[in-house]
Amino acid sequence: MKITLKIWRQESAKAKGKLETYQLNEVEQDMSFLEMLDMLNEDLAVKGERSVEFDHDCREGICGQCSLVINGQAHGPESHYTTCQTHMRSFKDGDTIFIEPFRAKAFPVIRDLKVNRDSFDTIIQAGGYISAFTGNAPEANNIPIHHDISESAFDSAACIGCGACVATCKNSSAALFVSAKISHLAKLPQGKVERKERVEWMITAHDEEGFGSCTHTGACAMVCPQEVQLLDITRMNFEFNRALCIS
Amino acid sequence: MAFKLGLFKTSVARKNVMAITGLFTAFFLIIHLAGNLILILPDSMFPIEFWGNVANQHDMYNAYSHFLVHFWPISIVAYILYAGLALHVVDAIIITLTNHKAKGEKYVKTDNSTSTWYSRNMGILGTIIGIFIVIHMGQFWLKYKVLGTEHDLYDLVVRTFKLTWVVVLYEIGIIALGFHLVHGFTSAHRSLGMYPKSWMKILKYIGVCFGIGMAVLYGIIPLIIYFQ
Ligand code: HEM
Ligand code: FES
Repeated sequence: MKITLKIWRQESAKAKGKLETYQLNEVEQDMSFLEMLDMLNEDLAVKGERSVEFDHDCREGICGQCSLVINGQAHGPESHYTTCQTHMRSFKDGDTIFIEPFRAKAFPVIRDLKVNRDSFDTIIQAGGYISAFTGNAPEANNIPIHHDISESAFDSAACIGCGACVATCKNSSAALFVSAKISHLAKLPQGKVERKERVEWMITAHDEEGFGSCTHTGACAMVCPQEVQLLDITRMNFEFNRALCIS
Repeated sequence: MAFKLGLFKTSVARKNVMAITGLFTAFFLIIHLAGNLILILPDSMFPIEFWGNVANQHDMYNAYSHFLVHFWPISIVAYILYAGLALHVVDAIIITLTNHKAKGEKYVKTDNSTSTWYSRNMGILGTIIGIFIVIHMGQFWLKYKVLGTEHDLYDLVVRTFKLTWVVVLYEIGIIALGFHLVHGFTSAHRSLGMYPKSWMKILKYIGVCFGIGMAVLYGIIPLIIYFQ
């Protein structure tokens, strides 16, 4: 199929970027979206032009490295897919596809479609961990956990930290990301030690990193590749108010 | 551990203030509606007997408004309400400005299919409501309670709602209020962290019913008076 691409090109964080148009004539339906971009980059390399830079790693939907806003939707047209799992069969011959980086003040563009998501690491470092004894790994079955609770905690833990929630949010809020970690650990006995401080530290870090506040439009949960629920944000707010009340 | 004041500046605490002041105002809306529904009770219900007095619609409405202005506990609640609404607006402005700062460059191509338009435009809806509230208070509250230039509130209300531009303006304000509430009611509960899943599920429907219900009931009052 023939595809026209409008891709955001930007030299560096400081430079002004703009959309450039590219034409690909031999795209196949079975190609993944990133393979299509690889194809473009091979073309550019032959022509001696600088290739389009974009983030990716596992290409199987688990690492959270791929990003891209495709036709205005974080991770493209398929809901709850990562960009790397999106295939060209989601597009038609003759389509024009807009590709832009994830945008937020807290995600500065490094180059082209690559953005710096260190702010997520800062938030996790602020409280997204538990205290545990060092030494041998403890026997897994020592702490009984109800099946439903462990499943629910796992649903929150599934967040791959890609940042699509922030890219989609009209306020550039990372509430879904922060709440996934807070909910994951609040649900489990292992998370109880820092339960109160964690929510304070992580929300403070979230604000300091320059993310906006949540308006509950629900757009984040609609694009989340791991289907983290909006309910986690409500739970995070509960945890926050609980911490306020007992401090 | 000491109570940490800094936490009140966090995004979540700001949204809590938004939610509490919003819900308090929304609660007021119910009471306010109940009183004003007197205006559209059918004529066949009058004369009516309450607390040993026989009254027609005109008297009953004026007695109700007289009571609101002269019963002191209600005045206290009214001042809490003004303060709450002011706080709601100030907080809305702070939140909107911080959110604006958090945004990166604008997307060239946007796709809004993942959320409702009214949830994205709470600020604009709120501004319409704000302008409406100022005009509304100028028309009744200012003339009746502050300046004292009008004494027969029933008469004033009926006269005002005979003007076409007033009715149009009220309908716009009330529709904006309806949408603001449809999103705001549920959002406020989420902001406060009322999370049990079963509760969240019904809450969404309560929010929709509340928003639409308020808009319809408030909306018909000016229309009925206009066409009477
Ligand atoms: C009768 C008047 C009003 C009522 C009953 C009301 C109610 C509410 C409620 C319940 C919320 C939800 C809080 C939350 O999301 O946590 C809210 C949010 C909001 N309101 Fe109002 N409000 C009113 C007037 C206004 C006015 C006059 C303005 C603006 C100038 C305004 C602007 C906003 C904004 C910007 C939000 C926040 C949206 C967000 O970030 O989620 N509201 N309101
Ligand atoms: S590249 Fe790893 S999730 Fe897409």
